[in-house]
Amino acid sequence: MFFEFVKHNSRKTRKENGVYFASLIVSIVAFYVILSLGEQDVMLYLKTIESDAVERLLLLIPVLYEVSLVFVFFLVYFANRYQLQQRSHEFGLYLMMGMKQSKLFLMIMGETIWNGIVALCIGLPISLFLTELINLTTSRLVGMGIIGHAFRISWTGISLTICGFFLVQLLAMLILSFTMSRKEPIELLHEEKEKSQSTMTTKWGAVSLLSGVALLFGTIFLCIAYGMSILYLRNFDYRVFALILLVGVCGTFILFRGLGSLIGVYVKRKGSSSTGLSMFTARQLQENVLHQWSSLAISSLLILMAMVCFAFGTSTALTNSAVSNRTVDYTFNGNEDEIKPLIKSDELAPYVDSYYGMALNNFYPPEDEPVLNYHFAWMGLIETVSSQDDSEPKEILLNNLSLQNTPYFISLSSYNAMLEAAGKKPIQLADNEVAMYTSDDTGASYDILKDILKKCPTVEIAENEYTLLPTLYSDQIVADRAITLMYSLIVPDSLFEQYFVADETWLWNMTLKDEFIEEKGLMQAMLEVDQVLNSTDLQYESYLGSMGRQLFYTVAGSYTTFYLGVMFLIIANTVLGLNFLMQQRNTHSRYQTLAMLGADVESICISARKQIWLYFILAISVAFVSGIFGIWSLLTAMPTTVFSLKNGIVIGLVVLLFILNEVGYIRMIQRKSDVEIRKLKEIE
Amino acid sequence: MNASNKLLEVKEVRKVFGEGQNETMALKGVTFDVLPGEFLGIMGASGSGKTTLLNVIATMMKPTSGKIFLDGQNISSFKGSQLAAYRGDQIGYLFQQFELIDNLTAKENIMLPLAIHGINLKEQEQALLQLSKLFGIEELLNKFPSQLSGGQKQRVAAARALISNPCIVLADEPTGALDTKNAKILMEKLSEHNQQQESTILMVTHDANAASYCSRILFIQDGIIFHELRRNVPGESQEAFYARIVMVMAQLAGGSSNVL
Repeated sequence: MFFEFVKHNSRKTRKENGVYFASLIVSIVAFYVILSLGEQDVMLYLKTIESDAVERLLLLIPVLYEVSLVFVFFLVYFANRYQLQQRSHEFGLYLMMGMKQSKLFLMIMGETIWNGIVALCIGLPISLFLTELINLTTSRLVGMGIIGHAFRISWTGISLTICGFFLVQLLAMLILSFTMSRKEPIELLHEEKEKSQSTMTTKWGAVSLLSGVALLFGTIFLCIAYGMSILYLRNFDYRVFALILLVGVCGTFILFRGLGSLIGVYVKRKGSSSTGLSMFTARQLQENVLHQWSSLAISSLLILMAMVCFAFGTSTALTNSAVSNRTVDYTFNGNEDEIKPLIKSDELAPYVDSYYGMALNNFYPPEDEPVLNYHFAWMGLIETVSSQDDSEPKEILLNNLSLQNTPYFISLSSYNAMLEAAGKKPIQLADNEVAMYTSDDTGASYDILKDILKKCPTVEIAENEYTLLPTLYSDQIVADRAITLMYSLIVPDSLFEQYFVADETWLWNMTLKDEFIEEKGLMQAMLEVDQVLNSTDLQYESYLGSMGRQLFYTVAGSYTTFYLGVMFLIIANTVLGLNFLMQQRNTHSRYQTLAMLGADVESICISARKQIWLYFILAISVAFVSGIFGIWSLLTAMPTTVFSLKNGIVIGLVVLLFILNEVGYIRMIQRKSDVEIRKLKEIE
Repeated sequence: MNASNKLLEVKEVRKVFGEGQNETMALKGVTFDVLPGEFLGIMGASGSGKTTLLNVIATMMKPTSGKIFLDGQNISSFKGSQLAAYRGDQIGYLFQQFELIDNLTAKENIMLPLAIHGINLKEQEQALLQLSKLFGIEELLNKFPSQLSGGQKQRVAAARALISNPCIVLADEPTGALDTKNAKILMEKLSEHNQQQESTILMVTHDANAASYCSRILFIQDGIIFHELRRNVPGESQEAFYARIVMVMAQLAGGSSNVL
């Protein structure tokens, strides 16, 4: 009987309170997504090559899980508080009809658990589907074949999700039930009575003055934080960082504390010319801000954090997009005698498309008395750079060049072999021409150097002048991405051979057959070749292994930040939405009075919808302004992102998703508010 | 009496709550008229149907049968936006619990019906001044309801009911939540407005004191009007009228105890 009653009540709650139930499901999904990270294809693959780093990341998961517990607790707490407040009259009646408090408590707990079970039944399949989707997208995004993909369920993830979910649910309910049990039945029965304007009652003038001062101080604080973030955040110092955070957070709180009076001033000024419900709308908003300034500030800060997380996640994902420029699959370390037999062997030959030596050497006089002239100077290039307008990249470039007196030489034939293997056009060099090469295609001076080369400056090698080609080359010359060359020269073979013996070549590149990679997927194909190579004692580095390291940072960086961003956003939205709905419920009688005074239900709905828009926009706009400065300083502190159409689309998509998410949520709250207000029609 | 002179006509109004066995008839065919400029009181014991009658006239609920004409229009058949156009504009309300919106200032509360009906507020400043002078609330206009006493709140509510210059003001126990002093002030002010501006007021009350300000009183019992009192103007003092009301009330109580 009691159980039936509990079940019936839970069903009613789910039906009437979609927002509450949706919050529960969201929290389940949030738990599972983070807990199942270790089971993702990308992670499983990374474990095979970068086990140490992955282990370290997976160690981080419990921390993220705990952080989520705290945030989800707030989410569930707010959702439950709203739900209980809605039913407070009902609980008061139960008590008056003789239900014991302990029984009422049992009933509420029973409903919580039952609702929790239903939420799990819906939430877990959604989480499985979502993680599967994330799994497939990351696999796709990082360019791996999805052949190795298998549907996996993380059982530890599921059990921890269930534990975590019930933990926060029950804890939130315990706290709420405790505060509720201390109320007299009469308080429960009349919970809907609105809170009096406590802030407005005494000394309205003083309050308004204080609020005005708060507003001013809040703005000043925020401006200081913004200014400091631009000036000092680049030279990262944790003390300055902490100060910026402190000032910014205080500023946001004080700003929202004072915002109410600003709206009040606006209402007073517009008062005599406003028509319809605009005055009521503004007063409702003002009251919301006055009563809820702290949750508004918290939500605004959470939205700001979400924005920064999304920006950081996107830019991490985008800066590492160079990963996909595959030119060389394997690079061996050794001499040709060792490597040639292996590549020609029966085990390996079917996979190999081409192999070639990558001849590169440092242009540095040998220790014994040099016979040849090793004189080198960037003279012509430096002169051209110096003639440019003063700028920071120019200074960096000049400084770099002055430190690079003995650059590496790359033989033209090796470089062309690499280009051909990668399906690119080979370079043509005349006898008095050399080409400039750099691995650093994201550095500050890359763009300026590229421009300067168009003027065909010269360099001096052994007292001879060589003209630089107008193109700056930066293709990956070996599989190992850890090998980078700041500035080196691609020189004609005749010049290269004057100084270096062909036998000295110690790097050998190999590429796999395209059809093989297409068939197996890059990841599987390379793992297969790795197995063959591991049986020899040759030193080698594969594109995938090297990329794995990069990929790890991308995945670890973008995945976790996106996750946190989504969490922050969901919680901020829930706090804002539920706060609004609670206030609306508390002030239900006002809407009734409006209807009696002749406002039709539709115009009351419109007023409430406007209130919701403005309430959300207040929080979002403060977050947005702070976000501009936050993201600005974040991005200047990071390597410049390559701005291309593709990246533009990705950034646009992220922004669009953010906006769509917010609009969608606001619409949902508006619909809920409409339903509440339409109940007024029943009077007729 | 000329039929076109009637402001409010209530014709054979019945109201039934519940269905089948639970059916209760709260109004059993009530008929009466209200003339322009009248201050009409409706009295009766609890459960007599007086509040139901007021709610039906106030368009808060529809009668089961019968018609209600306000200025010749059958308002009991109105729906949605037609109703909204009448509420607050043609009909002013005064409630027992004031029903001021407590995050609006007194002035904003008074002007609300005008704002809702899209009337230019600047042009109505004069009306606001007159009403606030009449009700003695000039100093309170910028205060919020929580800063006002009960009497002050009800006077603000009265100004709100009158601001749009409605055809009729419906008052539901307006003195019910007030002490005698404040009740007296309110009734005096309402009566003054009724006499000077010839506004029409329909008031439900069971307070004989408040009722003594009316020009006519209908007594209702068990859903029907069974008695009517008229103040003899000129000549009859308020005290004498009060005495007559009390007498009817006593009879009313005695009569019902005889039946029972």
